[in-house]
Order: sequence, then C-alpha cells, then structure tokens
Amino acid sequence: MTGDIVEAAKFIGAGLSMIGALGAGIGIGLSVQGALEGMARNPDTYGTLLTNMILGIAFSEAIAIYCLVIAFLMLFVL
Amino acid sequence: MALENTRKWRYGINRWFVLAFFLLAVVAANNFPPVAPHILVAAERLSATPLFTLPVIGPFYLTNTITALIVVDLVVILLALAVRNSLRKGDLVPGGISGMMEMLVDMLNNMTESTAGRWTKTIFPWFASIMIIVLVSNWMGLIPGMEAIGFLEHAEEDGHAAIQLLPGVMAMTAEEGEYNVVPFFRGISTDLNFTIALALISLIATQIVGVRAQGWRYIYRFFNVRTLFTRPGFGAMDLAVSLLELISEFSKILSFSFRLFGNMFAGLVLLFLVVSLVPAFAPSLVMLFEFFIGAIQAFVFGMLTLVFMSQATQGHGEEHGE
Repeated sequence: MTGDIVEAAKFIGAGLSMIGALGAGIGIGLSVQGALEGMARNPDTYGTLLTNMILGIAFSEAIAIYCLVIAFLMLFVL
Repeated sequence: MALENTRKWRYGINRWFVLAFFLLAVVAANNFPPVAPHILVAAERLSATPLFTLPVIGPFYLTNTITALIVVDLVVILLALAVRNSLRKGDLVPGGISGMMEMLVDMLNNMTESTAGRWTKTIFPWFASIMIIVLVSNWMGLIPGMEAIGFLEHAEEDGHAAIQLLPGVMAMTAEEGEYNVVPFFRGISTDLNFTIALALISLIATQIVGVRAQGWRYIYRFFNVRTLFTRPGFGAMDLAVSLLELISEFSKILSFSFRLFGNMFAGLVLLFLVVSLVPAFAPSLVMLFEFFIGAIQAFVFGMLTLVFMSQATQGHGEEHGE
C-alpha cells in the first residue's frame, strides 16, 4: 500500500513539474511572433532574424527542458 | 530556350529502398515485438571493477558513454586528418569531406568575426571546437543500433526474457524474464558528466580570455569598486550589480549543462517511447526531429560560448568613468 502511494506521488509530481512548460510555450510563441512581424515588415532581415529567433527559442525552450529534467528525475531516479 | 535543360523529375531507385526498409521494419516488428527499455539517467557500467581510483574523487568505471566519447574523438580526429591531407595535396578547390569542413569553418569564422571583432583569433578555436564536438556527439546517438546492442545482464527488476538468434547472439523478447541489455554505446550528450565538463571548460576559458583581454582590470567585472569611494551611492549599486554578475557566472554552469543534457536525454526517451509504441514508421520522423534538435543545441552551446567570451573581452563601465 505505501509503495503504491509513493509510486502515485512520483507520477503526480512529474506531471505537476511540467506545468513550467506553460511559460516556455508562451515565450516561444511571443518570440516567433516578434520575428515573423519583423520579417514581414522588412524581408531583408530574414537571415539575422531567423538566427536570433532560433537562439531565443532555444533559451525559452531550456526552461521547459529544466522542468522535463525534473520530471525525468522523479520518474526514473527517485 | 534551346539551352534550357528540361529533365523530368524522377524519384529514381531510392523510393524502392524506402519501401523495402519500411516493409522490413513491419516484418521485424511483427516477429520481434519491441521491448520497452529500462531507462536510466546515469550511464551504465560496462566493467564490474573500476578502471582506476583517484584519491579524493573516487573510482572510475568504464561506462557506455566513455566508449561513445572515444568514438566521437576518433571521428573528430579523422575529420581533422582528412582536411590536413587534402591541404597537403594542395587542392585549391577541396571536395568531399574537406570541402564540407571548409564551408563549416568558414561559416563559423564569419560568425565569430561579426561578434568578437579583433579577438577573433583568440575566441575562434574555443567556439569552433566546442561546436564541432557537441555536433558530432549529438548526432552520434542517432545511429541506429547505438543504444540497442549490448551485453545481457541479470536484471534486478522488470527484466525481459531472451531467446537465442545465432550462437552467441541473443535477442530480447517482450515477455517477462530476468535479463536486461547494457548497451555498448550511448549518446555521450545524454550523460550529465560530459555536459558539466564542457560547461566548466567553456566558463573557465571565458575567464582566461577575459584576463588576457583586460589584464587585472578584469576583476572589476565581479568586484566593481572603482566608483565606490568617488560616488558612494552609485558605487554601492555598481558593487551589488557586479556581485550579481559573479553569481550569474556560476548559474551559467547549471544552465549550460542542463540545457544540453535535458534536450538530448528527452530526445533519447522520446525515441525509446515512440519505438516501443509504433515500431514501423514513426521513429524515422522522430529521428529527423532529433537530427534538427542536435544541430540546434550544438549551435546554441557554441554561440553562447562565443557571446560570453566576447562579452568578457569588453570591459564595461569604462565609458562613464573619469
């Protein structure tokens, strides 16, 4: 019985930790929005905007990845 | 109009290869149902006894990420030797591998020049070598069979049964049993030790580049006491900001290492799960996605190193000094 509760708590904790991905999703959406607006207004800047957009996306994605690491640690290590 | 070469687009023979591999995957998945692997965050040990023991740090085992690291190093060294050979021959127009490497290095050099300015020669080797190592090690984990072939070992929990294919060669089955596979190789970026080591190298090299560029003034970046006595109010604020800079320098180690590790480990787990759910066609799409992610992460790791190093070469706060 106690083992089952610990197991369930692991899964619940892993699920809860992924709430942090919410912010990363909003951040990625905002950065792509800004980059696309810039590209539409000034198509010459396509190359530099794309590079910087991907860098920015990787930064915001990293936050979601931290949450994912915590979830993995809960599922597979604890 | 006569010069225009209008050749009809043909798929050629490759589509039959794709179809054959697809059918092969379906047949193989029917005969040998995929096994949900035992996912471990730490790298598995290949040897039971430690290779050597250091006094403070502890014993060192031969893990399956170390073998992968050796393969990555060999690949990078072979690439370097190929480029060297073609330079020795004096080809003005390099082709094949050396042409590809020239394109890559030229691109990286342009990127460094536009960011680092006159410190290009100092920063470029760090940037390019970190980027190439991370790129090769990210893509190394995508080779099929990399994480599926290995020793059989007795599992403590949820193992699987094994059947004999050829003499000495066993295959895992989906039934419950007592065996687990310890793969020979595992993508090196999925080991936290590798990414932390890389982050430490990058950050320490950043300090060295900063000291070389600014001399002893580099200490002002972390303990900014220049304006503390001339303008006490703003000086105290400057000191607090520079102390925050010191803390953020340490947090960079965490963010560097966990970004790479998290991305690659998430990719590994995603691949495992998709393979054990839909064994036939879906893994190819995930592999393509992971190919892209690996390139992006290598680019991000290298680019951040470049940006931090070029920040360290520029002393800030000098313009509103005396």
